[in-house]
Amino acid sequence: MSAAEPLIGRLTVAIASGKGGTGKTLVATNLAVAASRAGSPVALVDCDADAPNDALFLAPEAPQVSAVDVPLPVVDESACTLCGACRAQCAYGAIRILGGRVMVFPEMCHDCGACVRVCRPGALREQPRRVGEVEWGRVPGGLAGPAGIDVVTGRLDIGEVKTPTVIRAARKRAEVLGRSLTVLDSPPGVACVAVAAMRGADVLVLVTEPTPFGMHDLELAVDLGHEMGVPLGIVVNRDTGASSEVDVFAAREGIPVLARIPFDRRVAEVYASGGLVIDEHPDGARWFEALWDAVRALAEGEA
Amino acid sequence: MQRIVFASGKGGTGKTTLTALTARLLADAGERLALADCDVEAANLPIALRAEVVSSEPFTGGSKAVIDAEACRGCGACALTCRFDALGPSADYFRTFSYVVDQWACEGCAACVSACPYGAITMVESQAGEVMAAESGPGPMVFGRLAPGEDLSGKLVTEVRRCADGIAGEQAIERMWIDGPPGVGCPAIAAITGTDLVVGVTEPTLSGEHDLMRLVTLARRFKIPVAVVLNKADLSESGARRLRERIVAEGLELIGEVPYDPAVGVMPERLARGELTAYPEGPGMDAVRSIAAWLSEQGPATR
Repeated sequence: MSAAEPLIGRLTVAIASGKGGTGKTLVATNLAVAASRAGSPVALVDCDADAPNDALFLAPEAPQVSAVDVPLPVVDESACTLCGACRAQCAYGAIRILGGRVMVFPEMCHDCGACVRVCRPGALREQPRRVGEVEWGRVPGGLAGPAGIDVVTGRLDIGEVKTPTVIRAARKRAEVLGRSLTVLDSPPGVACVAVAAMRGADVLVLVTEPTPFGMHDLELAVDLGHEMGVPLGIVVNRDTGASSEVDVFAAREGIPVLARIPFDRRVAEVYASGGLVIDEHPDGARWFEALWDAVRALAEGEA
Repeated sequence: MQRIVFASGKGGTGKTTLTALTARLLADAGERLALADCDVEAANLPIALRAEVVSSEPFTGGSKAVIDAEACRGCGACALTCRFDALGPSADYFRTFSYVVDQWACEGCAACVSACPYGAITMVESQAGEVMAAESGPGPMVFGRLAPGEDLSGKLVTEVRRCADGIAGEQAIERMWIDGPPGVGCPAIAAITGTDLVVGVTEPTLSGEHDLMRLVTLARRFKIPVAVVLNKADLSESGARRLRERIVAEGLELIGEVPYDPAVGVMPERLARGELTAYPEGPGMDAVRSIAAWLSEQGPATR
């Protein structure tokens, strides 16, 4: 199967890393363009809701925005008997009884709804509370590829902590668009936030750099990938050409290296100005076309 | 005690590099620092400063639901209650008629426990990570390691800081430097709460600027002053100019500009490998020295 042929069926590729700043956004945006130009309809989902940057590189035309709400329990004091069942039920310590009143602490609440279920007098109900937004729109065909690219961005409101909820909302929005290829640009790390971005992906592409730090954080990300049971591939960014512990590790674990992007000031400069390396670096097209090929091979179990 | 946190919003801007190098420079001048690495998903400061772990403690976070397959009758009441899509029929449902828990999705709210008519679900406490106390050149260091996929990174950060505060108090250390996590979500909030100064490490890229401003907004909400370090400053002239203007307009203090200098960039790696015998000379290192000097002049907060 060649990358020149459009994708048949649906494929979800998550771009992730343990360490921050390894080049996830670089890889996700350029891979989306490469796949789009090869004829596959693409949705790019920016799941780094703490620091979403994909739309700086691929700015959609006339984006639409919708709020992400979570249900927050509120107390009807006239009905509350102060029985304490809600407080006992809450696994997160988000409900306390202070001064003869039930208090809900929004930043600790996981909006699981358990307290509302156990409240016999019916004194708790839920009200929507905004925690972020999802923005989506299309980068028109021509610039990006024949079909255009749908760019969906999850954005957490500053001071909020419900990053996974915002990510899930962004992914649901992309799901509705129904494109053949979904590229998930994940947040750094290996916690619940990263899992929310990667869960259910068909292929996990881990971006790393050949340093002791990249190596350390790659191992954590590989552990997570193995536990989630997803086929893995590695992109080595800022590759110096010299063999590194990352190569040794990849060979030992049997994880394919899908692409290498050299340590090149020009790559950093293009990225700095919000440009696409696939267009503005002489070797960019070659790197990302080959990456799209390798990702498809991995998804089809050929790697 | 004075607490300074290095943060950035965007990952990979040089937080750990700057924390490690300035801490080393202060240590060379005879200062002793307490250090806390609050990136519990990818702790790199202990690698850069070759910290030796003295003791570690398990970090028990929340619980996860476990279904007793014998007692489960497969009615699905649990799945109807769960807000996190964590419950579903087992793979061989038509033989066993039992439901299973997706450990990645379960947030431990226990709503399913009370929903189950057969008492088949119990909550089991899980180990969510570890807190490590270590010794490094510049002084004692505390860091955390979150188990893959856990949802308690903020809590673990708070635990790391509590432990670091304890050690600094015991050893009568006056300064604590905190290497913060990327993002502005739950772990970032836990890392900057109660500090005296946020050092925002940024780069003259569109994403760097965008994410720095999200960090600044967050820090203002906590009424913590922000000083900015412009890393890789000569990567983009227009980007750097825009950032400088932005810094002035926002009333922030620019405490240093570090040029894009591979000699500085590889220093954490050389420190980590124990290969750094002398500091390289050049504009990059000069800039780091002047930042270290500025930081060392900052007294404990007077506010």
